[in-house]
Amino acid sequence: MSAPAFLTLDGLGKDYGTVTAVRDVSLAVAPGEFLGLLGPSGCGKTTTLQMIAGFETPSRGRILMEGRELTGTPPAQRGIGLVFQSYALFPHMTAAENVAFGLEMRRVPKAERGRRVAEALAQVRLGHLADRYPRNMSGGQQQRVALARALVVEPRLLLLDEPLSNLDAKLREEMQVELRDLQRRIGVTTVLVTHDQAEAMALCDRVAIMQGGRVVQIDAPWQAYDIPADAFVADFLGRSNRLPARAASGEAEAAGHRFSLPPELADRQGDILLTIRPERLRIRCERAPEGPPGLEGRVQARLFLGGFWLYTVETALGAFAVMAQNTGATPLDEGAAVTLDWDAHSLRRLEPA
Amino acid sequence: MMTRSDRLTPALLTAPSALVYAGALLVPLAGVLALSLHGFDFEKGVLPGWGLANYQDLFTDPLFGEALARTFRIAGLTTLICLLVGVPEAWIIHRMDPRWRGPMLLVVVGPLLVSVVVRNFGWMVLLGTNGLVNQALTALHVPGAPFRLMFTELAVVIGLVHVMVPLVVLSVWASLGRLDPVLERAATSLGAGRFTVFTRVVLPNVMPGVMAGALMVFCLSASAFATPAMLGGKRLKVVSSMTYNEFLNTLNWPLGAALATVLMAAILLATLLWTRLVERRALRRLGEVAQGGPA
Repeated sequence: MSAPAFLTLDGLGKDYGTVTAVRDVSLAVAPGEFLGLLGPSGCGKTTTLQMIAGFETPSRGRILMEGRELTGTPPAQRGIGLVFQSYALFPHMTAAENVAFGLEMRRVPKAERGRRVAEALAQVRLGHLADRYPRNMSGGQQQRVALARALVVEPRLLLLDEPLSNLDAKLREEMQVELRDLQRRIGVTTVLVTHDQAEAMALCDRVAIMQGGRVVQIDAPWQAYDIPADAFVADFLGRSNRLPARAASGEAEAAGHRFSLPPELADRQGDILLTIRPERLRIRCERAPEGPPGLEGRVQARLFLGGFWLYTVETALGAFAVMAQNTGATPLDEGAAVTLDWDAHSLRRLEPA
Repeated sequence: MMTRSDRLTPALLTAPSALVYAGALLVPLAGVLALSLHGFDFEKGVLPGWGLANYQDLFTDPLFGEALARTFRIAGLTTLICLLVGVPEAWIIHRMDPRWRGPMLLVVVGPLLVSVVVRNFGWMVLLGTNGLVNQALTALHVPGAPFRLMFTELAVVIGLVHVMVPLVVLSVWASLGRLDPVLERAATSLGAGRFTVFTRVVLPNVMPGVMAGALMVFCLSASAFATPAMLGGKRLKVVSSMTYNEFLNTLNWPLGAALATVLMAAILLATLLWTRLVERRALRRLGEVAQGGPA
């Protein structure tokens, strides 16, 4: 990062009695960046968020915002906007009253308050529902009110806790686009906590993948996807196939099948764990007359995903997931004999997790 | 299309409870009402004629007016104190570590587990002229001590608050359980302090529980008999103790029935006014009565 960090977590940890929820989290968020904390439940991402928000006190480490220690500041004075998974709208207040709450707490004069509330609601395209109560709104509308409520006070930092998890798939995609657009336009530094890798990859500039209370990898989503730090990340972000092999002089061998290694792995010797993404595998019928000799197998199962077919192919090296674009051609039948091949540069070496 | 039997089903299903309700409540009430319309003579007992003479007697008797006013004064004061004590108490217990919540709730409902007679004797020991409270005040050289505490309205209110607070705590506790705990964090993150979170976010959302608790306490305090009789004594009459007196000492049953009827009507009126003016509005705001009302 060339820009000075806006938010810095430095060796942050949290214990509950003998249980360690967060072991050691250190990361830096640039101004205006959209960072995702991604991981399975119990990885410590939510506890980390709660510590940034001030609802949990760190057991060790520091939180710095714009270079200033944040740890002693009570949550009400941190100037952080929060959006919760359950929306957490005040049920006894209308949308406008909900949005106005933070401004009231800051003693913003009434006229200005009204103007800013209207602006904030218009920003999330809910101007026409200002007088509705939350119970009379859909989940998506409630979430947008929650967003407006968090943003109207012009927070220095926006924290999103699984904000889209309670929405159905279609609406979630729409909200992703809207959320990303809004964050770009406002330019507020944002930290998103989610267990949904697709959501994190779609929204974030960078993702911090967490496991067992630690950050395993921080990278742009496509970089983490393409070059996973370890086997855990490879499995957690999208699908991947594992390929244990023995390397010798630029080639690898597994169960009698020989294939070449990418140049960066050419000097490897001995046991090596390789991985390859399903969309990097090519699948063809056995009877194809020409082409390089590939790995022979049999289609065990197929799944139609609209734009893609997901095949499970049983081979001498184990089962492979193969993603084949739906080109309109007749799909391969279950039980069909097929050949798999791939480019050497699609292979990645994994540190065992 | 609803068939005939479909329409009958609800009526048939509710019939047993309706019958019990009618038999155990409405019939005796009608009996009391009818009894109150008869006259009474000390020689001949209940007279056969009908009339409103008993009510006329009551409303011209300054002693009754005084007792009715005292009844409602005690009930109102008890309700107010119960709310002031019970609502924060429920909130504090709600925020406690789960390990402590169970034992603390038990402590709160404790007074309900003790017999009313035992409980009131306890207060008599504490509040008597030579009781623990006065001994302590005297020992501390509080000017004016010992005070006359027994047989005052204060003693009655203390005794009633002691047993009624649990009702408020439990009904508010139930409402708090339905409150999304994240709401408090949302309010805090928007800059609200603890007190503001309580008054602006928590309290409006547990209003149904507060209202229900207040109503229970008021009705039960206004019709309480044992506590006013024991802690208030013979001279501090409330309507229920007057009723008791007419029925069991004077044996003027018709007048006792009239007293009971007036007390019940007064409580009913207060209850209706309360729900009309306060509770319905609070509930509607929370969408628990009419869906989508104010939208």
